[in-house]
Amino acid sequence: MNAPLPPGRAVLLVARREFIAQTRSRSFAVGLLITIAIFGIYILLFQFIGSQTSSNTLGVTPQTAALREALQAGAQAQDRTLTITEVGHETGEQQVRDGDLDALLVGVPGSYKLIGLDTVDSSLQAIVSGVIGQRAVNDALMQAGVDPAQIAAQGHVAVTTLEPVDPERGQRLVLAIVVAVLLFMSLVGYGTAVAQGVVEEKTSRVVELLLSTIKPVHLLAGKILGLGAVGLLQLLVLSAIGLAGSLAFGLLTIPTAAASALVSAVIWYLLGFFLYAAIYAAAGSTVSRQEELQTIVAPIMFPLLIPFIFAVSVLPNDPRNTLGTVLSFIPLFSPTLMPARAAMGVAPLWQVGLAVALTLASIVGVVLLAARIYRNSVLRTGARVSLKEALSPRRG
Amino acid sequence: MLEIDGISKRFGPVQALQDVTFAVRPGEIFGFVGSNGAGKTTTMRIVLGVLEADAGEVRWKDAPIDADMRRRIGYMPEERGLYPKMKVGDQLEYLARLHGVEPAEARASVERWTTRLGVDARRGDEVQKLSLGNQQRVQLSAALVHDPEVLVLDEPFSGLDPTAVEVMNSVLRDKADSGVPVIFSSHQLDLVERLCDRVGIISGGRMVAVGTVAELRTDSTERFDVVGPPPAAWAHALPGVTVVSVEGTRTRVELTDGASDQDVLRAALAAGPVHEFRRYQPPLTDLYRDVVTSGAAA
Repeated sequence: MNAPLPPGRAVLLVARREFIAQTRSRSFAVGLLITIAIFGIYILLFQFIGSQTSSNTLGVTPQTAALREALQAGAQAQDRTLTITEVGHETGEQQVRDGDLDALLVGVPGSYKLIGLDTVDSSLQAIVSGVIGQRAVNDALMQAGVDPAQIAAQGHVAVTTLEPVDPERGQRLVLAIVVAVLLFMSLVGYGTAVAQGVVEEKTSRVVELLLSTIKPVHLLAGKILGLGAVGLLQLLVLSAIGLAGSLAFGLLTIPTAAASALVSAVIWYLLGFFLYAAIYAAAGSTVSRQEELQTIVAPIMFPLLIPFIFAVSVLPNDPRNTLGTVLSFIPLFSPTLMPARAAMGVAPLWQVGLAVALTLASIVGVVLLAARIYRNSVLRTGARVSLKEALSPRRG
Repeated sequence: MLEIDGISKRFGPVQALQDVTFAVRPGEIFGFVGSNGAGKTTTMRIVLGVLEADAGEVRWKDAPIDADMRRRIGYMPEERGLYPKMKVGDQLEYLARLHGVEPAEARASVERWTTRLGVDARRGDEVQKLSLGNQQRVQLSAALVHDPEVLVLDEPFSGLDPTAVEVMNSVLRDKADSGVPVIFSSHQLDLVERLCDRVGIISGGRMVAVGTVAELRTDSTERFDVVGPPPAAWAHALPGVTVVSVEGTRTRVELTDGASDQDVLRAALAAGPVHEFRRYQPPLTDLYRDVVTSGAAA
């Protein structure tokens, strides 16, 4: 009754078990719900922050009331709402104390004072000092018989771009960040799951039973495929919910860009997952207990974290950042950085293709190395297996 | 025949196995005994291909064991291992499939063995929810679900209650009767003596004795039990006879230098009435102690 077991069947059997065990576990459903909740909160938070127009209240005394119009214009130029009320000096100070006013402007030219409670909002400060400074210059110009408006016209710089400004840039930015976050989460989450699975089999000793019937490399391949499929499923579910939600709420008006971002996210997830899962599995195989796992998988997170932070902090302001472009070609960094650049529309197709090719090449190398470490370490219990032992070409 | 032929294995500075050789015939239960660290587990792991030997070969039906053959061995590792959070039935079915059994057959086999081993009611439970004894039964089921041609069991009896020992015993006997060579290790020497057709004793990585318990006995010195007059009256004067122990009226003597058992009996009868005179059959425990200590001295 024991038919020979082709390697492909062994791998598929292992993958199926991993997929079922993972998706049936409570942590999968809970994790998915929590992630959706976090995404929802983020969207609400962004909307809330976006709806907050920065506004200030300023009190002026009869002495400074003449500046009222100029201040209002200055605030408008900075895209800020400024509510100005005229009050007496004493009343004004009291209102600042009570929090009804952010600041009170008193004094005469040469001895203006901006009174705040314990601090004055820096942008309000900038508006006021800008207006007063300009007023002083204008006064001096008029005394010298020059028209300030003429000077202002001469000093004006018009801003224009050679290529049309992308009206969807904001949306692309959000897409890029969402893609980076999703990839980072999936790679770290499911990479860690692979390492945990390897250690679980070592801790429970079931690995010895498994390896008496299948080859270590088949067990490893099955585990990576199974968990990778779960990660892909989660990625697709989250993206579908995210896409549907943001299209329904009108947050997203560029479905084609979103669709291509999704496709690239899936491709990069697969590439990144095979690369990192192999590393995670090899790392997991060198320890015997879950407690030891943290210390050994933490360093693996750095090459994921660096491009992720780069993608969400530097790229939004400077999508064509040279360092970012260079880093996006390095295989360990490509999976989070390149799709973010692509989503922002600053990565030409040849760059993406080159990064994919480089990553594929490194996957081959990394998987071969990881398989060797895994094979040498997975049956050893007790002390952590040193890298030298793990890499030795043949061990019984 | 399962042949373990000249297996050696070294772990760093430790020579774990040195030229270990023995064979287990189809239909035979072979007891593998030895102290902790003597090399039992290492030998079994090498048979299963979980470890690689430095030298030597393991053969089944005259052919070296390869991956396809290994899949037809039933194995119970010393370190019990099952997925703690997987259901008993799913787990056994999975293991059967990994051994190449077709799905429908795997299900039927899981049902058959869990029933036989008395854990059929727990098929829907996670392994971690079972008592250790029941986990042990599941572990044995895992070694049997793919209808193996050879059984290799490392300490299958440890932690079992007397009922479970009887169940295990009858399962092993049935498998052996169906032509399967069964090899198991154990520290419970009385059990080994009772169950096994042949015994192998390993000490310090070397096989120090292989054979039936009776065969092992022939190597040991001749001893007789005499229930009768106190030894001072007859034994001390006989050449080549030493008194080993005296318990009440029972005297155990050891015969050396060709001393005749008939001379002993005559001398005892001359001293008084003899109620019992018989050759002492040392239990495996004694034989084991003798070989292991003499092996260590050599």
